[in-house]
Amino acid sequence: MMQRPMCSLPLSPAVKVKLVSAGFQFTADLIHLNPDQLSGEAGLSREEAEDVLQAAGTGGPLSASVSALELLQKEEETRSIVTFCSLLDSVLGGGLPVGRTAEICGVPGVGKTQLCLQLAVDVQVPACFGGVGGQVIYIDTEGSFLLQRVVDVATAAVRHCSLLVEDDDQRAAMMTFTVEIILSNIFLVRSRDYVELLAELHLLPDFLSDHPGVRLLVIDSVAFPFRQIDNLSQRTRLLHSLAQQLAAMANTHNVAVVTTNHMTTRLRGGLSQLVPALGESWGHASSLRLLLQWSGSQRLATILKSPGHVETSVPYQINSDGFRDADQSEQPPSKRARTLPDQSAASQSDACC
Amino acid sequence: MDWDRLQLSPKIISALGRAKLTSVREVICLSGPDLQRVTNLSRSDIQQLLTAAATACRRHHPIPALHTRDNWESGLRVGVGCPVLDELLRGGLPVGAITELSGESGAGKTQLAMQFCLSVQYPTQYRGLGSGAVYICTEDSFPIRRLQQLIREQSHLRSDVPQELIHSLQFSDQVYIEHAADLDSLHMCLSRRVPLLLAQGLVRLLVLDSVAALFRSEFKADDWLERNKQLLAFSSTLHHLSQEFTTPVLCINQVTDVFNSGDNSLGPLSCPVSPALGLAWANRVMMRLMMRRLQVTVARGDQSSVLRRLEIIFAPHLPRDGQDIAVWREGVRGIGGAPLAQTHDLGFNNK
Repeated sequence: MMQRPMCSLPLSPAVKVKLVSAGFQFTADLIHLNPDQLSGEAGLSREEAEDVLQAAGTGGPLSASVSALELLQKEEETRSIVTFCSLLDSVLGGGLPVGRTAEICGVPGVGKTQLCLQLAVDVQVPACFGGVGGQVIYIDTEGSFLLQRVVDVATAAVRHCSLLVEDDDQRAAMMTFTVEIILSNIFLVRSRDYVELLAELHLLPDFLSDHPGVRLLVIDSVAFPFRQIDNLSQRTRLLHSLAQQLAAMANTHNVAVVTTNHMTTRLRGGLSQLVPALGESWGHASSLRLLLQWSGSQRLATILKSPGHVETSVPYQINSDGFRDADQSEQPPSKRARTLPDQSAASQSDACC
Repeated sequence: MDWDRLQLSPKIISALGRAKLTSVREVICLSGPDLQRVTNLSRSDIQQLLTAAATACRRHHPIPALHTRDNWESGLRVGVGCPVLDELLRGGLPVGAITELSGESGAGKTQLAMQFCLSVQYPTQYRGLGSGAVYICTEDSFPIRRLQQLIREQSHLRSDVPQELIHSLQFSDQVYIEHAADLDSLHMCLSRRVPLLLAQGLVRLLVLDSVAALFRSEFKADDWLERNKQLLAFSSTLHHLSQEFTTPVLCINQVTDVFNSGDNSLGPLSCPVSPALGLAWANRVMMRLMMRRLQVTVARGDQSSVLRRLEIIFAPHLPRDGQDIAVWREGVRGIGGAPLAQTHDLGFNNK
């Protein structure tokens, strides 16, 4: 790293020319120099000299390397966000890992937004219930963040936790785990196109520094604004820098980053098949890729890509409470009873008219 | 672009001029190193520029969802005018997104769409938006006689609304009808006339009957790439209008036969048809409804109607569910209670 050629640094050409003509060929040549010395020797302004030293990574102490053992300990400390679908949690090793990026792909209506909303509520489950107790930034690009539904999911999560209360800690925690507080901990952004989305992401690191309690960033969806870009090379370039930004944010601010993606049809050897949209290279953008799909009337969640898990599929369902384990009974999930007593009463009275 | 508005230092502004960068959007789409290369500015200047440009692009800070409950109009709905169906749809059509209503011909799609054009005109406490509707026809001519009949029968349909209020509304003056015979005229309509009507507050509902007709007739089978591109641009326009003016957009769609019944990866379908225009369109739809005719006729007094079923295929806030409905003289109504509980009422007499 210290033998990195000067011309490879992200600096303006004029600065590079001055550095090279002053005899600085490699970053190693800059060691032990302070900005004043460098500006004198290379004929740069003091500001430019500071930039150079920062870019070369010699300005301050080098970032300390971390041993694998330390990493393992850190990973054991990181909590996961439960999905409220126990089968999915177990194949994910406890839930969605904080500090990583994940992508949810699927056809319309399979439950991508439902899982995002569920996670936005679940990340707030207090620590004494095994949760993360964090806040959420939710970037809605499709207009599908409907408060009505968030209230459903939050109400069910609060009810679920209140049934688990055993000690005083948990009783106290329930005071701050109410539907109102859950809604006030979801910071909502609506972006109408990719420029607004990119602008928001540029400002997000500052927001995250001001709100250290945020543990989850949701973008539902990346595909919706980005598929509008006609110019494919520009799209690829923007997606690439988006992926880098998201990975950096996940790591430095210790948040789970969840994005959603559409599916598209690809013809391969005369057969059409469904693949995630936004192209091959975007597939490398997130460290975990979850595919939600239909199999008959059953919904399945498949882990397509993950550093720690083999490809597995588990069934799930979306019911009035949110994202849950599939019913074990014979009853198909689509036929679940939604007829509340008051509704059927209302229906009956209408039948008479 | 007036860079002075962003309160940047003169050095940055002159560098932007030299680099021929004219808009905030251009700046946002360039990465830091690229900007540094084209402007020759220092890294800290670039940071300052990017932050200023990003702040100019965004409309608001992240807001707690709790505050959107009162301040935003995201909870607004356009009701159907029938309590059973409003219950099924949890209030009606949501604003700010595209709702699709598909079904075979004769399923009652246009009937339901016309009903929304009237119910949107009621004040918000009666599940309207207090404004008119624009109805774009691409297939048949608008069934104006039926609309007039629906208007005459409003007091019969809306027993929940005071009669004086119903009589004070000028229903037919507030339904703007447009005809678009090809994609070019549809584009003109959506980019010129509709935004004008919306901006003036004359309408707050956009109905398109139907989306499939133009896209199915103007492209051949091997043109699907071009078709998808056009479809994407068109759906973006609709989505933009719905967000910009917090307006519901209702698109009527045709259906196609599912020829490969083994492939159900797009969802469990209970009938042998699926909405037209494929995945490229479906990805842009937030709420998908489907109507189909059942093989039964129901009677009420001197009227009879073929029984239909309205089904929710997907919507972020609704479970998969359905409701039997009938089309009466006064409009579309849900048949409540247990399905077909009143079997003895059923006659097989034709309408």
